[in-house]
Amino acid sequence: MWMIKNWYKTIYHKLFHLDDRLLLIIAGSITGVFSGLAAVALRLSLESALEWLQPFHHYWWAFVFPGLGALLSSFYLEKIAREGAGHGVPEVIYSVSRYGGLLRFRSSYSRLVSSLLTIGSGGSAGPEAPVVMSGSSIGSNIAKLLGLNDRQRITLVGCGTAGAIASIFNAPIAGLVFSIEVILGEWKFVNIIPIAIAAVAGTEISQAIIPEQVIFNHQMFQVGFFDILPSLCLAMVTALISVLFTKVLRQAGKIAKNSFFSLWVRAVIGGCVVGITGMFMPVVLGEGYHFIQSMISGTFSMGGFLVFLAVFAKIFATAMTLGWGGSGGIFAPCLVIGSLAGIAFHSALLSLFPSVGCASQGAYAMLGMTGIISGVMQAPLTGIFLIVEITGGYETILPLIVVSSISSTMSHYIEPASFYFKELIERGQFLRPGTDARILSDLNISEIIETGFIKVSENMVFREFIELLKNSTQNFFPVIEDHTGEYKGIIQISSIRKYALDPGMYNMVFLNQIMDTEVITASLENDLQEVLDMMDINNMDSIPVVENDRFVGMISKTRILDLYRRELIMQTSV
Amino acid sequence: MELSVFDLSKYLGVVPGTIERWVRQGKLPVFKKGTNYKFHTKELEKWAAKHNISLKLSDKGTQGKQGGSTISLSSALKNGGIYFDIPGNDVNTVLKSSIERISKIPADFKADLLDRLIERERALSTGIGNGIAIPHPREQLGYLNAPLVAVCFLDNPVDFHALDNQPVSILFFLLCPVLKMHLHLLSALSFCLRDHQFTSFLKSRPRPDDLMGKIEVLQNADPIS
Repeated sequence: MWMIKNWYKTIYHKLFHLDDRLLLIIAGSITGVFSGLAAVALRLSLESALEWLQPFHHYWWAFVFPGLGALLSSFYLEKIAREGAGHGVPEVIYSVSRYGGLLRFRSSYSRLVSSLLTIGSGGSAGPEAPVVMSGSSIGSNIAKLLGLNDRQRITLVGCGTAGAIASIFNAPIAGLVFSIEVILGEWKFVNIIPIAIAAVAGTEISQAIIPEQVIFNHQMFQVGFFDILPSLCLAMVTALISVLFTKVLRQAGKIAKNSFFSLWVRAVIGGCVVGITGMFMPVVLGEGYHFIQSMISGTFSMGGFLVFLAVFAKIFATAMTLGWGGSGGIFAPCLVIGSLAGIAFHSALLSLFPSVGCASQGAYAMLGMTGIISGVMQAPLTGIFLIVEITGGYETILPLIVVSSISSTMSHYIEPASFYFKELIERGQFLRPGTDARILSDLNISEIIETGFIKVSENMVFREFIELLKNSTQNFFPVIEDHTGEYKGIIQISSIRKYALDPGMYNMVFLNQIMDTEVITASLENDLQEVLDMMDINNMDSIPVVENDRFVGMISKTRILDLYRRELIMQTSV
Repeated sequence: MELSVFDLSKYLGVVPGTIERWVRQGKLPVFKKGTNYKFHTKELEKWAAKHNISLKLSDKGTQGKQGGSTISLSSALKNGGIYFDIPGNDVNTVLKSSIERISKIPADFKADLLDRLIERERALSTGIGNGIAIPHPREQLGYLNAPLVAVCFLDNPVDFHALDNQPVSILFFLLCPVLKMHLHLLSALSFCLRDHQFTSFLKSRPRPDDLMGKIEVLQNADPIS
């Protein structure tokens, strides 16, 4: 035992005498390997779950599978893992921006299990957000194990995300781009290298374990110059569908919360509705990778109008799964919706202009996927690189860029907050690095408060107070009760100046007659943003802080500005 | 609604130059009308909501002043009245007989007011010297509709434990419903009583109309009120 300990100690110290960047690269690659493993594990178990359930699918009662799966999944999350429902990406983003990427260890496996139950049984959701959550939690806990600081931990969380995405899609650049564009929100040199290494590690792991099963076969697409115009139209269609998808998802969650069913009943209802939909349209079930594969390769057999209906059926099924208690992400549903929309658009195009020489069905499915991914996540680069990598269709990069940028711009115009950020913005938790809100959230009241004020009794005569004033530099005097020390009011020199210069007043007035009792006070629980708002609304330069009827100190705008500047310098320097 | 650069600068509490710089830097939703920059209120509200800025597109700072504090000394004196020949030989009795004479005090509250005045005198004399005292309670009297200043001339000078140890023969009762008025009137009164001409004029026991006229002249000379 002691040998292991010694060995651990030596390694630990060796690591810490390394250069910061080298340390992050090493830790990042370890993180990448582990999160890649998590992603592979989920993929393999999903596949075996599908195989296992396959024989039962032709029975009429098969529709209860998604219901049971959702029930088990929410039971697991609620009672065993004790973690909140949802796909987890907003939680990771919030933790990165607020708590330096601190995540619980159990997050590294809880979502894997719950999403396996949901998706394996046929629920319409994606396995990517759960692996992102688990990868970032692995990164965070490796950082904890090594005793790294917040900045380094955030980088490792990014590494975990990148490794997971890279591994599940076999797409290293997409992992890197998604991690930086969506999760971290800042393109910094110190982040990019370790994250890139982690993405490579994740991809290598997935290729080493499942070498044959590359998720989608690479295709050759012939996309010509004439496809640019249809791509423009497709981009607008996908932008609208993205907005619709985001709205329906959120609405379903709200309806479920306001319904009078218990959590368990909700999960069963949602799952069964998905199952029934799936009986008519099997394409809505599960994560749908196989359907995407057949759509890209052009072997998808549904008719044009049915495909058009399937777009909405998939949106509906995903909303019922995720909003009503299932667990999983929106990545894969986005891809399915996108390829369905692309194919529907393609057949509409062909029926309107039969003679037009446009590209194949598969190419449009691909463009549709880019459009939906960029529109829903408002992450254009992730959309472009993910699709290029998973389809190997580098020839299509021009229309991809066009579709991705137009779709994300348009959906941003209609709905300024992306699906991942919307929740955070509503809760006031959207704090990107280097922004005002981020800096204000880091400074708390106890850091800013100025203390050491001379307090005066409410029964003091004004003359005594004037004597005190002569030898003091204080501009504010808190007035307290004699015996209990309770805060009564405050004397601001600026507002009593005319009485202070009038000797006739000196013996006539006690301090409780001259103090200001209507001054708004802050408490230690307020955050800085609230305090600043109070001061702005009431035109104050300083505000007293009172806690449990005791005067604690003052907060002044001068001091805030001073600390704000220092904080800004600290946070924006690398 | 449209706003100009000048309007917006007032709402945001910055000078117009700052607004123009923000427009140049592309920070504000702006449109051009002729050669001038204009802003739509709707667009600005959207922008403020997006950036988490509290933007109040209404007039700011107009309701800062309390209306009640600007009552003049002469109107408070008219409200209170001037009384002569108050009997009594010590502080308590003169206070008691004065309160009975002042008509504006509701009868139910007279006993309570007397207690408060006596308590105040015990804590610290209100005799300001020169034979004058300003009795007032420490708490404000919510039951009064308007502040009142009542002048009472005593029959016999009474020892009020004033600072200069001179016996007091004139009382200025100061009774207010609100603290702000109290300070204002007290300061106005003390300005008048610092005037030696006025104090000697008081000693001559002037007719009420003359006294009122003199105070009006004096309060107009007070630079504060």
